[in-house]
Amino acid sequence: MSNEQVQQATFDIIAKQAKIDIATITPESTLKDLGVASLDAIEVVFDLEEHFDIQLPNEDADFENGTIGDLIKAIERQLAAKNTTG
Amino acid sequence: MRRLVITGMGAISALGHDAASTWKGMAEGRSGIGPIHHILPGQLRNGGIAAEVVDFDPTQHFDESRLNQLDVVSQYALVAAREAIEQSGITFEGETAARTAVVVGTGVGGETTRDEQYEKLYGEHAGRFHPLGIIRMMMNAPASQISMVHGITGPAFALASACSSSNHAFAQAAMMIRSGLVDAAVVGGTEACITLGTLRSWEAMRVLAPDTCRPFSSGRRGIVLGEGAGMFVVEALEHAQARGATILAELAGTGMSSDAGDIAAPSEIGASAAVTAALRDARMAPEDVDYINAHGTGTVANDSTETRTIHRVFGAHARELVISSTKPMHGHALGAAGALELIAVLGAMREGIVPPTLGYLGPDPACDLDYVPNEPRRVKVDAAISNSFAFGGLNAVVALRKF
Repeated sequence: MSNEQVQQATFDIIAKQAKIDIATITPESTLKDLGVASLDAIEVVFDLEEHFDIQLPNEDADFENGTIGDLIKAIERQLAAKNTTG
Repeated sequence: MRRLVITGMGAISALGHDAASTWKGMAEGRSGIGPIHHILPGQLRNGGIAAEVVDFDPTQHFDESRLNQLDVVSQYALVAAREAIEQSGITFEGETAARTAVVVGTGVGGETTRDEQYEKLYGEHAGRFHPLGIIRMMMNAPASQISMVHGITGPAFALASACSSSNHAFAQAAMMIRSGLVDAAVVGGTEACITLGTLRSWEAMRVLAPDTCRPFSSGRRGIVLGEGAGMFVVEALEHAQARGATILAELAGTGMSSDAGDIAAPSEIGASAAVTAALRDARMAPEDVDYINAHGTGTVANDSTETRTIHRVFGAHARELVISSTKPMHGHALGAAGALELIAVLGAMREGIVPPTLGYLGPDPACDLDYVPNEPRRVKVDAAISNSFAFGGLNAVVALRKF
C-alpha cells in the first residue's frame, strides 16, 4: 500500500467518522484542530485499526498534539511491521 | 438540621481484607498494583496490570448456601459491611431495623457472573445457564444481601453513577437521615470489575496506563483499575450518642452536580459546582479545608481539570492545601472508589497522616499544587473533602470534619 493510499484512506475515515469536510484535512492538522472531540477521535483510531487490520499503541494516538501526518506515519510503521512478520 | 456521624468502617481492597490493613497500606504508601492473575499473555494489548484483591477465600467468610448466591461484588460488600457494623456496635433489633437504610454504590455490579454466563453462551455454545445467575449479577444484589444478612428492613437499594457511585451513595444516605426517614444507614460502594470483558472495554477507550498510575505527575499515562469495597455506618449524631457509640468523624456535607457536557471529558465548571455545594452544605469556608482526597485518576485530562477546579474553588488557599490521590495504591475501583478513599480521609483525620500520591515522577505545568508525592506526611487534618467525578459528567463530593 503506497503512502498516498494510506493517506487517502485515513482522510476518508476521519471525514466520515468525525463528519467533517475532507477538504479541510491536512497532514499538519491535529484532530483537535479539526474540532474532533476526544471520544470521536478514539472512534477514528478504532476505525483506522479495523480498516488496516493493525493495532496502534496509545502513544501513536495523541489527539492533543499529534498531527494527522504523525498518525499516517504510525499506521505505515504498523503496516511495515505486519508485512515483515506475516 | 440533624448532624451526621460515621461510627463504623469496613473495607476490602488490594491493600488488605479489612479497613485496618487497607489504611495501614495507605499510611505506609504501599501500592497494591501488580500483574493481573487470571489474564493470559496476549489477552490485553499492554500492561495487564490492576490493583486486585489477593488471597481472598470466600469460603472463610460465607457458608456454602449463601456463597452460592454471591457474585464477588456482593462478597466484597458483605465483608466490608460486616466489619463496619461490628465496629459501630449497632444492632438491628426492634425499631432500628426499619429505621436503617442500605445504600450501595456500584458501577457495573456482578460482572464476573455476566462474563462467565456469556462465555458459556457465546464461547462454549452451552445450553445450560446457572439458575442463580440473575440473583448474582443484578445490580441490587450487594444491597439486598447486606439487608438480608443483617436483618435491616428499611429502604435498601443500589446506586449507580460510575466512578461517583460511592459518593452519591453517601449523599443519598445523608439526605435520608437528615429528612428523618431513617436514623442510620449502612452505606458505601463495591466493585469487582477485573474481568477480561471489562478490561478490554477500558482498553478500547485508550485510558488504561501500561506502566502504573501516576496522578498529577509528568509522564502520567492513565488509569489502573482496582476492585474491592468500602462500607460505613452513618447515623444521626443523637442516635449514635444514645447508643454510646465511638464516633470516627462527622459527615459534614455533600455536594453534587452534572456537567451536562461531554460524556467522557471532565469539566472544571461541573466539578467546581459539586465542590462548592459540598462546602456550602458542610458550612465550611474554603480556608477551613486541610486535605483533599482527589479523584486523581492519572489521566492527562482529569488531573489537569481537577487542579483547575481546586484553584477555582479555593483561590489562594489552594496552595496551602494538602492534596493526594490514593488510586496508585488501591487502583481506580470505579463504584467503590469514593468508599475506599473515605478510608484514607478518616485515617488522615484520626492519625494525622496524609497518604501520599505514589508514582510521582515530577511536576507537570498543568498540575502545580502540593500532591504529597511518593511519601506520606504528618499533617493535622480537621476538615477534608473527597472528590469523585464520573464519566457521564456526574460529580459528587463529600466533606468530613473531625469530631
